[in-house]
Amino acid sequence: MHLRDYILRRLMVLPVLVIGVSIVVFTLTRVGGSPIGIYLSHEMTPDEVAEIEARFNLDKPVWVQYIYWIRGIAMGDFGWSGVAAAPVADVFPLKLAATMELAFASGLVALFLGIALGTYAGARRNRLPDHVTRIVAVSGASLPQFWFGILLLIIFWAEIGIAPIGRSDATIFASIAHPTGLYTVDAILAGSPSAFWDAIWHLVLPSVTLGYGATAIIARMMRSALVEELQQDYVDAARAKGLAERIVLKRHARRNALVPTVTVIGLTFGFLLQGTITVEIIFRWPGLGRWMADSVLRGDQATLMTYVLFTSVLFLVVNLIVDLVYANLDRRVTLGK
Amino acid sequence: MLDAKHGGATVASVRDLKVHFQSKRGVVHAVDGVSFDIRDGETLGLVGETGCGKSVTGRSFLRLLPVPPGILAGGSVMFSAHEVCTGCEGTGCETCEGTGRKAGQDRSVNLLGIPSEDMRRIRGDRIAMIFQDPGKALNPTLPVGAQIAEVFLQHRTDELIALAGLPADTVGAVRRFASQSPRLGDGWLLSLPGARAQRRRVEEALATMVAGALAETQVPNPAKLMARYPHELSGGMRQRVMIAQALACNPDLLIADEPTTALDVTVEARILELIRNLQQRRKTSVLYISHDLSLVRRISDRVAVMYAGRIVEIGTTTEVFANPRHPYTRGLMAAVPGADTPRGRLAAIRGTVPELVDPPAACRFCGRCPYETSACRNNDPFLEAITPSHLVACFIDHPAPSGERPNYGRVTA
Ligand SMILES: Nc1ncnc2c1ncn2[C@@H]1O[C@H](COP(=O)(O)OP(=O)(O)OP(=O)(O)O)[C@@H](O)[C@H]1O
Ligand code: SF4
Ligand SMILES: [Mg+2]
Ligand SMILES: [Zn+2]
Repeated sequence: MHLRDYILRRLMVLPVLVIGVSIVVFTLTRVGGSPIGIYLSHEMTPDEVAEIEARFNLDKPVWVQYIYWIRGIAMGDFGWSGVAAAPVADVFPLKLAATMELAFASGLVALFLGIALGTYAGARRNRLPDHVTRIVAVSGASLPQFWFGILLLIIFWAEIGIAPIGRSDATIFASIAHPTGLYTVDAILAGSPSAFWDAIWHLVLPSVTLGYGATAIIARMMRSALVEELQQDYVDAARAKGLAERIVLKRHARRNALVPTVTVIGLTFGFLLQGTITVEIIFRWPGLGRWMADSVLRGDQATLMTYVLFTSVLFLVVNLIVDLVYANLDRRVTLGK
Repeated sequence: MLDAKHGGATVASVRDLKVHFQSKRGVVHAVDGVSFDIRDGETLGLVGETGCGKSVTGRSFLRLLPVPPGILAGGSVMFSAHEVCTGCEGTGCETCEGTGRKAGQDRSVNLLGIPSEDMRRIRGDRIAMIFQDPGKALNPTLPVGAQIAEVFLQHRTDELIALAGLPADTVGAVRRFASQSPRLGDGWLLSLPGARAQRRRVEEALATMVAGALAETQVPNPAKLMARYPHELSGGMRQRVMIAQALACNPDLLIADEPTTALDVTVEARILELIRNLQQRRKTSVLYISHDLSLVRRISDRVAVMYAGRIVEIGTTTEVFANPRHPYTRGLMAAVPGADTPRGRLAAIRGTVPELVDPPAACRFCGRCPYETSACRNNDPFLEAITPSHLVACFIDHPAPSGERPNYGRVTA
């Protein structure tokens, strides 16, 4: 099947999946409790409660409520966030940008560092660099994020005092425009080096905390895949042609080792997104994760539903991208089978 | 010395080669004192049961052994590449029989001792190798054309640049591109307008050379084949690609490690014919590794029989097959069905290859040999000549230092 046809087909299935996800999200949230819990207090009379329910259409059948919800989303109305005291649709993009910046920073670092470390270790199997990488990787995969994050916070923020907390220095942040919401990108667009460094500086600790685990996973996967590839005949055949070891490694073995690793990278993305909640709370990062944590505690259902719906769609898209990269790396994969 | 007496120059001579492997049970003497010569333009067949060290011997020429666990425990592999014929400057004349080369004896190098950069220059250029399973020896994620191209990029950069019509003193990113040694930032440099055109011309020249190499192996439509991935090709096609790749630089020596074992019989016949053809046309020497005795008989000029890390018999194909002297060779031959063998009467050699961990100073065939005596158990026979071109390592044909000598008249086991 042609790549373009395949993408089209996958994109056509996407809405069906999204509707499925939305039904699940709606049902589960409704099971979880009343959506107006956040607005009620003990002093209210049953009549008052009924009035509020009527105002939010909660007296209608459940499926009608679902339709209202979907219709609202279609028109860009995701409901009211009690926690943010603003429409979800207004706050969401800002929070999303903050989270994405964090996730991308740690994702990119994890990707390059993971592949580099894994290659380095795999090419030196059972020698010192391999053992060191293994220790780093195993600890990375098993250290709890909240523990590691707080440790970094204590050392670099509380004790040494060189690392900042939060997302930015308020005055520098206010000094530039924010067309994209990604602070680093905005700083580059504004041509402000001080804002750029401020953005990077604030990103370091949270993205190290967030990316450490993912780096470990990718590095281990890359390492074992590379070790496997290096034992294949084609590697010896490449050497028999007179290729330098560097070319044998990069052009032949590593490229093939990336094939299984890419799948793991897709999974790692979920791992990262999940981690944003902990990391944002620890480092006071004003993103989706922290907002979500608050919303869960206070029963802010409109926000929660939007979040779950959004992350599900994101997952579907990431999976599609992973499949495409996979097919591009390994020509034996026949798309659509 | 040894079997070098028979006419013709030698392209490679192996002397007392020892390759051991570290294992849990001890040091495995996989190859334990192997000596033989390969002459110019000949096919030397190397036969023996599985695990007797054929592949390890073949891979030693290119130093393609996993070290560790492998240990190069001793010996040498001397190799002398051909020189360009002085009579015709390589274009081919009568003195060199149209090959454009003459044998050079003086510049021989020990393949086991030279620096790895020198080894790399020999690999794929002067000595090439074909592997058993072409499905595994080709990289699944690269088009076959790109894989053959690597040989030219590695060893034929100057010719490429000339064919592309670029000045011989071309330097920088374009030359690095034509020699597959990219540096960081070359991708960007090569996308600049001037360099891009040059790069395109190098690519076209490369495609021409690759298509030429493929055409040699009689594949239909080489230009189209280049863009294919290995999994899209049949086994026979893949092995043709491997052969094209191996012979691309016109090597002096080709190591063929069971190149047809993974193929079916009709395809095997065609691949053998192809190798034979190309070899005779280019005067390439071939070390043909196989466990198939009848196949080796058909294609080899000389045969070496290997057993448990040693060569036990070596000679011209005619001699060895007409007058096999070693009991192991005889056993192997009895195991091959001939025209006159009644069905179901295949005599396999009893027992199995011994463990090669710290072998004692005795004949390796002890325990399986029907003629074994006390001499065999207490002494280690070595290759000795019975005719100028036929050597055998067995006390039946040579006096033993001590003990009772075996002979074919007396079956002891
Ligand atoms: N990578 C390795 N690690 C450990 N031991 C090895 C390794 N490669 C080869 N050996 C040892 O060397 C011996 C000879 O192996 P080799 O591959 O040369 O046999 P062969 O004659 O080519 O057999 P076959 O007909 O099966 O290809 C084996 O029995 C094994 O004990
Ligand atoms: S030396 Fe003895 S054991 Fe070895 S092959 Fe000859 S007869 Fe058999
Ligand atoms: Mg073998
Ligand atoms: Zn000549």
